This record gives sequence, C-alpha cells and structure tokens, in this order.
Amino acid sequence: MSTFEQYLAIGVVIPLISFVMLAFFGHRIGKPAAGWVATVAIMLSCVLSGMVFFRWMGLPESERTELTAGAARYTWAYLGTLPITVGVKLDSLTVAMYFMVTFVAGFIHVFSIGYMAGHSDEVDGVSKYHRFFAYLSLFCFSMLGLVISSSLLFMFIFWELVGLCSYLLIGFYFDRKYASNAAMKAFITNRVGDFGFLCGLMLVVLYLGTFDLDQAAVTFELASVNASEAPMAHTSAFAQDWMARAGPEAASTASANATRAMALFTMPVGFLGFGFTLATLMGIGLFCGAIGKSAQVPLQVWLPDAMAGPTPVSALIHAATMVAAGVYLVARIYRLLTPSAQMFIAVIGCATLTIAALIAIVQTDIKKVLAYSTLSQLGYMIFGMGVGAWTAALFHLITHAFFKALMFLGSGQVIEGCHHEQDIRKMGGLRSKMPVTCWTFFIGVLAIAGFGLPGAHLGVGGYFSKDEILAVAYDRSHHWDVGEHMPEWMDPHAPAVPHERREGMRLEPHGAAPIRAGHGLVAGASASAEEGHGEDVHSASARLPILQNMPPLPRGMFWLALIIAYVTPFYMMRCWWLTFMGKPRDHHVHEHAHETPMMYVPLIVLAIGTFVSSYLWFRPLLAHVAPAATDAAMVVGLDGAAEAGHAAAAGEFINLHAAHEFLNPRVGWSWLAGFLVAWLIYRSGLATAQKLVKLPFVGTAHHVLENKLYFDHVYDFVLVRGCVGLAKLCRYVFDALVDGIVNVSAALTARFASWTGRQLDMPIQRGDLGLVDAVVNGVAEGMFRLGDGVRRPQSAGRIRVYVMVAAGSAAIVLLAVLFGPQIVDGISAWMKTTAEAKASVP
Amino acid sequence: MTIGLTHYLILSAAMFACGVMCMMLKRNAVGVLVGIELLLNAANVNFVAFARYRTGAMDGQIAAVFVILLAAAEAAIAIAIFMNFYNNAATIDVDRGATLRG
Repeated sequence: MSTFEQYLAIGVVIPLISFVMLAFFGHRIGKPAAGWVATVAIMLSCVLSGMVFFRWMGLPESERTELTAGAARYTWAYLGTLPITVGVKLDSLTVAMYFMVTFVAGFIHVFSIGYMAGHSDEVDGVSKYHRFFAYLSLFCFSMLGLVISSSLLFMFIFWELVGLCSYLLIGFYFDRKYASNAAMKAFITNRVGDFGFLCGLMLVVLYLGTFDLDQAAVTFELASVNASEAPMAHTSAFAQDWMARAGPEAASTASANATRAMALFTMPVGFLGFGFTLATLMGIGLFCGAIGKSAQVPLQVWLPDAMAGPTPVSALIHAATMVAAGVYLVARIYRLLTPSAQMFIAVIGCATLTIAALIAIVQTDIKKVLAYSTLSQLGYMIFGMGVGAWTAALFHLITHAFFKALMFLGSGQVIEGCHHEQDIRKMGGLRSKMPVTCWTFFIGVLAIAGFGLPGAHLGVGGYFSKDEILAVAYDRSHHWDVGEHMPEWMDPHAPAVPHERREGMRLEPHGAAPIRAGHGLVAGASASAEEGHGEDVHSASARLPILQNMPPLPRGMFWLALIIAYVTPFYMMRCWWLTFMGKPRDHHVHEHAHETPMMYVPLIVLAIGTFVSSYLWFRPLLAHVAPAATDAAMVVGLDGAAEAGHAAAAGEFINLHAAHEFLNPRVGWSWLAGFLVAWLIYRSGLATAQKLVKLPFVGTAHHVLENKLYFDHVYDFVLVRGCVGLAKLCRYVFDALVDGIVNVSAALTARFASWTGRQLDMPIQRGDLGLVDAVVNGVAEGMFRLGDGVRRPQSAGRIRVYVMVAAGSAAIVLLAVLFGPQIVDGISAWMKTTAEAKASVP
Repeated sequence: MTIGLTHYLILSAAMFACGVMCMMLKRNAVGVLVGIELLLNAANVNFVAFARYRTGAMDGQIAAVFVILLAAAEAAIAIAIFMNFYNNAATIDVDRGATLRG
C-alpha cells in the first residue's frame, strides 16, 4: 500500500471519527465546539488530500501508472465463490475529485459554523446543533468513500450512505412539514433510481462475475471483442496492461468470465419495439442510479424540493458533491457503456439541461434558481458523458463544484442576512449592504455563464468546461462518421497493419490463452499470428456489432445544448441583478441586511478556487486519466482515444480545433447576450417582466414553467392517486366479494339453523331442555372457574416474569437432558447405598 | 491458538445468556428489544459457525440472513407497538404494560 493510498484512506476515516464523537458526545461538546470538531476533521482530510494532490501532480506519467496498477486489493469476503474486493481506486480522477470534495467541504464547514450560529436549532428544547455537524461529517466520510472505492459494491454502499445523509440533512428541520416531506421525496425518488442501479449491479455480477471496476471493465471488453469476432489483439492498452499485471489466475478468471459475458452482446432484449443488447441494458441500469442521484429527467423533481434543507447543505450535498456523484459514477463505469447506452445518457442529459434551464427562468426563490441551474449544469455533465466528452464533463463537474458552492453559500449569506427572506422579488440593492457577497456571487455568475474572451485564452469556469462539452457534441453531431474514427483493423480499405506491431499488441497473459476455444475467428487470428502469417486478421473486418449501431448524435441535441448556453447567463444574471442591484424593493429586508466574516471568508476562498480550478491542475489531471478510463475497444474513436492503446490525451481529439472554430463565434459571446437581455428586462426592477408576462404566448409559457412543466402533477396523478385508487378498488372488491360470500353464508346458516330448530322443537320436552342447559352451563361454569384459577399466575402481564419462567424452565430441561442420566444414576446409587446400609443394620 | 467451533459456541452461549439477562432485567421496552436482538444474533453465530465448521455449505448463512430479515421486521413492528404504548401510557416501562391482563 503506497503512502498515497494510506493518506486517502486515513482522510476518509477522519470524518468518520468526528461523526462518532459528535453522535455520542455531541451534546456534551456544546454549541460552537461541535462545529469546530467537524471542521477540523474535514480540514485534516483536506490537508492530507492536498499533500496527495500536489505530490501526484509532480509524479511522472509512468510512476502514476505504476501506482494506479499497484493499488492494493483485499478480499473482504466471499459470496459463494464470488470474491468481494476492497481497495482504493487510485488514479488522477480519484485524486482530483478527492481534493475538490475535501476543499469545498472544508470551507462549507467553516461557513456552516457562521450559518448555524444564527439559526434556532432546538426542537422540543433539545439542541440539534451537534447533530447537524455529525451528519455533515458522516456525509464527508461517505462521499470520500464513494470517491476512492475500487469496487462497484462499495460504491453502491457509499452511494446509499450519501443518500441517507442527504435525507437526514434535507429533513434537518423536521419539525417543519415541508422539510420532512422534501426529505422523504428525495429519498423515495432516489430509491427509484437505485433500483435500476441495483439491477445493473446484478447484471454485472451475473455476467462479469466481479465487483471490481477494472476487472469488470476488462471482462466486458474481452467479451465485446469476442462477441464481435474481432481479433484479440485489438483490445485496448488498458485491458492488455491489466491482463499482464493481474497475474495468470485473475487473467484466466477474467477470460472465463468473458466467455460467459458474451451473452451480454448476443442476447437481444426487446422493449416497446426497441431492440438492444443486454449489455446496453446493464449500462442503462447502472446509469439509472445516476439519474436518481444527479436528479436527471424524469427523476429531477426531488432536487428543487431538497432546498428545504439548511443552505450549507444545499451547497455541499445538493450542488457540489453528492449530486455530481452520478456523473462520477458514469465516469467510473464508462467502459461498461455501449454506444446505445451512451446515446441514452446523452438524451437524458440533454432533456435535463433544457427543461431545468427553462424552469430556472421563472423561479423567484433564490435557492430554487440555483437548484434549477444546478440541474441544468448536471444535465450538461451527463450530456457530455453521453456524447463522449469524458474529460470535459468531469472538468465541468470540478469547476461547477467550486462556483456553485460559492453561489449557494452566497445565497446562504443573503438569506441569513435578510432574516430568512428567500424571495428575490423582495430583495434588490443588497450590493451596498453586503459587498463581498455581491461580488463573489458575481464571480460565480460569470463562471456559470461561461464568461470569457474568445480568441484570448481568458475566461472562467464554464467558458472552458462547458464549451468543451459543446465542442465534442458538435464533432459528434456534425462530423461523426464511424468510418472516419474507425480503427484501422475495422476498415477493409486500410493498409495492412505491420506484423510487429500486432505481435506487440497481442494479448497473452503469462501464456494463458484467453478465450480461445469455440470462437473460430479469434482462435484463427491468434493462431495465425503465432505462426507468423497474420494476414487473415483483416478477414475479421466485421465491425463490432455495437459499433455498427453507433449513431452520430442528432444535430438537434447539439443545437439545444447550444441554445441553453444562452439561457444560462440570462437566468443567472436575472437572479444576481434582482438580488444585489437596482433599488431595494422591500425596506424591511434591506434594513436588516448584513454580512459576517465567518461566512464571507469561505466565499472569497471559493471565488479564488473558481479561478484556479478553471486554469490550473484539474484539466490536465483529468485528461491524463481519460485514456485509461475510456479507451476500451468499444468506445474507440470517441473522446480522443482514437485507437486502442494509442490514445493521445483525451479531449485533444481530431476535430476539437475545428469544433472550437465553429463554436467560438456562435457561443463564445453567449454570456454577453444573456447578460444584456437580463439587464434590459430587470434593470428597473420587476415592471418590465410583469408587462412581458401579460403578452399572450409569454404568459402561457410562464404559467407552464411555473408549474415545472407539470412533472409533479403528473407524478401525483399517476403514482400517488394511482396507488390510492388501486387501494380503493381492492377494498371495494374485498367488500363486495369476500365479505359478500361470508355474509351470504352466515345468513344461510342462520336460516338453516332456525329451520332445523323449528323442526326439532316439536318432540323435545321442556324438562329435557332444562337438563341439557344445566349440563352445558355447568361445564361452562367449571371451565370458567378453572380458567380463572389458572389465569392468575399465568396472565399477570409481567413480561419479565414470563421471560424468567421460560428461561428457568429451559435451563431445567437443559440440565435434565444433559445431566439426566447422571442424576438418575446418582439417585439410584444413593438409594442402593442407603438400602444396603439399612440391610446391614440389624 | 486456532479458533475452532467451540469458541464460536461459547461466544454464542455468552451472547444468549446476556440477551436473556437483558430481557429479564431491563424495564425499558427498547432494552428488552435489544435483548431479543442479542438472542437472535447468538443464534446467527451458531448457524454460521456450524455451517462453516460442519456442513461447509451455505445453508447456515442463508438461515442467518433470514433471521436478520426477520429481526428487522420484528424490530419495526415492536417499535411501532412501543410508540402506541407510549401514546397510551406515556411510558415504555414493560412492567406498567399489564393493563391487558384479564
């Protein structure tokens, strides 16, 4: 275990220790101290991760690869024969995410101390202050655990843990009805997604036979290569490297599993007329988890409601880290996604970014605007993942975490300073009262709007990350041609591959022949390569079936994403202008507004972080890990991993330059356009907007958007009322049918009884009846008395006495069973001796 | 020292005894519930230990998983009962819960 892994693992455990301390002794630690315990804990993690981060940056490429490959794996338990491995996934993505999470979380903790100081946190006279920080610590532990997990099972466990923390923190003010409802909504909606995740996980275990991310990816790739009957030599460098390092045993396990996993590609699954492979279904299943956690359409409804939680929680969990975990998950399982699954992801992302951005325009609650903008940005990330912009999507995740946490904390400062007023229509003119908040928030707005000067390498946040997503989407939609990106072995017209190179790439882990038997083409290719001919490798020019289905991105989706890039600056500018600029609209709110250093210092730090993260460190780190994370044979051509094992830095792919040339004039100034329109409408308060809403079409659109496109209504109608309706139907059927039968049979019995009674009554004399009655009553009376007598000791209602009697009796029985013969022997021996003694005495 | 079946059985017996004592001595209903959990888990340890050292198959583990499941269900119901009990009697002292005696 390298020091890197140790540092990361210790950094995960520190918040857990803090959680345990706060959970058990929090009420004794007291009000400000409990907050500091949690803050110091996460800051320690941050220092550790900073040490890892900067040392990692200084390492040469080869050493990083060694460390990634050499990360320790322990077998925790066996599920039948399936090993459950534990380990730290140590690569540049982990290091970058880890540093981002600890850094942002650290300063959000500091902010929280200031925020909670001014909040009533008592329910029924019991302070919940320490509980808040205990939950935050638990969340940090779970989130960091999620980031470093090397196995899908542990990812799932931590995934559920962050969900739990989200639930606990959304419902932190559980004495308020809307907060506890929002918490339940978040939890239940996430369960829907996690169900899909679990199904995907089951498919992974069933077919790939492992929980380990790397092994699963390699097995999947081998299976896809096998299923497409492509030559074995065309597995990715990642897979070959893994097979070489894993040792003969693991390699042969992977090969054996791959044979079984071929079913993933050969077994068609039909659904509503769409045909796809089981492999696609697996990818979509795993992605369902991300739909839930990252609040993608159609499960986006919980995130806006989650704003009922305290604002630092919104910043940490529902903007910067947990909701981005869905994107992180997709990044991690990227090698398990077929092109169809990726297309599905792109569609979901595109729908989310569009819908959320449109709804954000009409929101009046400052936190809701930010919530919808978060949704929209998450949509961009997922969209990026779907179109193959792996690096860009993660880069956007990182920059977004900084600027969105910044804006949420800013909104927290505003809400705190304005005595819990969240309505931006009542704000305005806060610039003079809280200048630091105002201008740091503005930096956040610039970052999300993609402020930058096209041409000059100057910009912040989204200018780099969002534009890169758009660039890849452009390439994928306008210049996508499978032939162009096809690796040469798939192209029948390509020149023959030099034999030496193929020889070098051939997969031969320690002599264990991978999946040779039974697959003619693979076996043939392999054998011929050994014999030194190798020409018939090109006879295997059949494309991967999954690649054949790889469609170019529909252009509409690219254009939609591009148009929304104009909407983003508009609604953010609207929010910022209404809050901080113009004239105060509510003097009561304005008079009380103030800001406190404890809260604005984190804002400044995060504002600096926004700039730094846009330029330094993160982008190169992510680009460095991209080939290893994406260059599987099946995603060849996407995202710069142009050929198996020969990937340049991902993102620097063939047409990126052309894409930027196309995009710069079209989207480079979108921030300015959005800002201008927002400024024109809102510069003099709300009057213009109110006039606009009166226009017929705008009014309708406004109404639809205010109702969030009726998602909640539809869910309420279909799911909630559907359930209630079903229950009512069941009850009606039960009443009519089951009760009916019972009632009818009862009535018939009564009729029959009275009829027989009348028949029998005739001959029987009164005296006989008296005798019968006496006997019956006597027996009953006797039984009653007997029962009453027995009842007294038996039914004293003292449970503990029952337990004592039961345990005592059990002990006696046990003694009798165990030592019965000895006791009997002992007694008889004793009797014998006494009898003998008596007999001997005359 | 190698850990054998006996050690597990002793552990299980000790847990069982603790559970019984807990049920007998605790007046708090939740305490009694904790005692029950101890009993169930003592049985679980036995199941798994026997499966591991005797049969070598998975049946013991399966039984243990069932027991865990049942314990969860039972705890949920028991706590619901305690809540109702508390609503009616303003206490969860089991000795006070004797009103149903005939």
